[in-house]
Formats: sequence, C-alpha cells, structure tokens
Amino acid sequence: MNETEHDRRRDDIAAYLLGALEPGEAAELERHVAGCAECEEELRRLRPAVQVLPETVERLEAPPALRGRLMEQVRSEAAGSQGASAPRRAPRWRFGLRPLAGLAALALIVAAIGGYAIRDGGSGDGPKTTTVVTGHSPGVTAEMVRQGETGTLRLANLHQLPSGKVLQAWVQRGKQVVSAKALFIPNSDGTATATIDGMKGVTTVMITAEPRGGSVQPTSDPIVSVSIPN
Amino acid sequence: MKIRASKAERLADEELMPRIGEKDPDAFEVFYDRHGGVAYSLAYRIVGERGAAEDVVQEAFISIWRSGARYDRARGSVRSWMLGIVRNRAIDFLRSKAGRAPKLDFDDAAVLEHRPSAELTDAEALRRETTHELRGALGELPGEQAKVIELAYFGGFSHSEIATMLEVPLGTVKGRMRLGLEKIRGELAGGLA
Repeated sequence: MNETEHDRRRDDIAAYLLGALEPGEAAELERHVAGCAECEEELRRLRPAVQVLPETVERLEAPPALRGRLMEQVRSEAAGSQGASAPRRAPRWRFGLRPLAGLAALALIVAAIGGYAIRDGGSGDGPKTTTVVTGHSPGVTAEMVRQGETGTLRLANLHQLPSGKVLQAWVQRGKQVVSAKALFIPNSDGTATATIDGMKGVTTVMITAEPRGGSVQPTSDPIVSVSIPN
Repeated sequence: MKIRASKAERLADEELMPRIGEKDPDAFEVFYDRHGGVAYSLAYRIVGERGAAEDVVQEAFISIWRSGARYDRARGSVRSWMLGIVRNRAIDFLRSKAGRAPKLDFDDAAVLEHRPSAELTDAEALRRETTHELRGALGELPGEQAKVIELAYFGGFSHSEIATMLEVPLGTVKGRMRLGLEKIRGELAGGLA
C-alpha cells in the first residue's frame, strides 16, 4: 500500500464522517476504506462520536400539526390512494415565500414535457392553475398553481444536479427575463417545489441549472418552461 | 387498529423497520413518536426556521416511509440512521438557499441549556440526562476543535471552505476535526454512551 496515500486518506476520515469532504473526495475515501482494514477500523471507531452530535441539540417539541400532516400522507399512501384524494402538503422549500391558503381546494393540472393544452383552471377570484410545459429534459413534469400574485411550481422526475449547481427560477414579462429569486435543488426522489412571487404580467416561468448562488441571467437552456396565460 | 399500534409500541426500532418497509402505518407512527422530536430539534438547529425545519422533517420521514427497507444495521442504530437523513436534508436546504448564512451559534448559551419538561418518561429522562452530559463533553472541547465540528456538521461546510473561512491550512482543519472526534469518542468510551 502506498503509505502517503494511506496517510492522506486516514487524515480525511474525520472530515468524511462530519460530511465535510467534497463528493469526489468522499468517493475516493470510500474506495480506499474498502481495501484498507486499518482505515475501516478507524471509521468504525470514530463514527459514534459523530452519531452523538445530533443528540446534543436543544430539544424542542415537534409541532403537532406536523405529525398530523405526516400521518395523513402515510396512511393515504398505505391505503393506495396516493395522489388521487390525498391533500398532500407541498414541502415549503421557500425562499421568503408565503404559504398558500386553501391549497387542498386547488385543482391541479399536471402536464408533461412537450406542450400540453393551456388551461386556466380557476374561476372568479379563486386560484388559477396553468400549465404549458416545454423544455429540454425529457420526462420532467411540472405543475403550476397560481393564486393572486403567487405561483407555486412543482417539478418531478428531475435528475440530480452536479456538485455546485442549483436550480434557478426565471420569469418572463414581455421580452424581459429576470430572476424570480428562487434557488432550489431536487429532492432525492427527483421532486422540487418553488414558490414565485410577483406573478403579475408574467408570461413564462423557466427553470435552469445555474452555479451555486445563482446567476444574474440564465446561463443554460431551460429544463422546463411553463407558459402562463393571463 | 389500536391493538396493532399497541403491539408496535413494544417493538424495538430495528423490529419496526421491516414493518415500515411493508408499509405498516402503525409501525411508522410509533417510529415517528419516538424520534420526531429529536429530528425536529436537529432540523431546527441546522436551518434555523421553524417552517423549514418542519419541511425537512416531513421530507426525511416520508423518505424513510418509502424506503424503510434500506436501513442497514451495520451502519449504526435506526435512530442514528434517521438523524443522518434529517441532517442531510437540512444541509441540502441550507445549500439551496443562496446568500443565507447557516445558523451558527457557538456562543449561544441556550444551545447548552437543559430544558425541563413537566412530563418525561423514564427513557426520555435518561436520554436527556445523557444529552446533558454530551453537551458538557462537547463544551470541554477546545474552542477551535468544537468550531470546526460545528461548522462541518451543523453548518454543512466542507473542510476546504472551513479552512478558507478560518484562514488556517486545510491540514489544520482536518487535524482539529480528528482531535475533536477523538475526544468525544474518549468521553463515550468513558461511559456516556
């Protein structure tokens, strides 16, 4: 075994356990540990020291409503009624965003990539749902719910992003495209939700992959592009 | 239903997981009731917002519900596995929020406070006593070691980011991490765990 390589990897074990290695470094360490009994033992020995860290945080009571929502979703899925009747609460991956009132009452229209019919599912002052989706990532689906000045965009079947990349939402008014100030990443199941404020006059909502921290202007083709009828 | 739930309450976490894998909501409910509090506490500690902490916990537990069979007891207890999922989700949230500094409160005495509760089960009381001792053990760490551990685990920063932030060599950060974990491990071996 290359001693220098071994020493270097061994020095990375604490950082690895703390989640402080870059993905490439972590993968290299895992490959090394798979063939190094000494490092495997070191990993096993130090792991409990990291596992106790979450036990040291100030203990709070979880909100009862959280339990209610969670069990509602779980029992709904267990009953095989996922998606049909369950008012599944959208995760609030918000960025200074407002919760939507009466979300369960919203009629959702889901469209797949390729261009579905434009629809306006709302009436009167109620929430409006709109969807026309085009894009460059086959399989990605989107649903857009608009209520007043706020829009909620839900995406599914997204691929995981390369390290250092985030998804950024953009809105188009006329010929002008500006950031919607919403940065997010896909969940592990390929879903993501972004809420977009200031929907007045918006004709299109787009999502692009951008460097961490976001961009001033889009630097890549849209993953999805949702037309918003006004 | 209550009978089933009552039976589930008598099962160890490791016995609950196969039932959760079989989509038994009663087993999942027991699992959440045991660990939802610490999960929420950890999520809040990392993201610093109650609404976001709720989202993190909901995402994490739904992930467990849908993939409960993936628990590998060789990697530690179910509780540790679950908390690792919560931590990763919370860090993902932090990283997705551009321009927002993670919640870091090295000097926040409240973090080290022991919050009493009127109704504690024996198990929870024991766990809190252990938690109190662990906090004390962490408090015994030299500040520079506690800081790099805090930045990495609760802040989601990489070792190179921490080196830049603290203006110290990368090797120094690695060394402090290792020494800090060694000391915590020593405390555990001394009877805290």
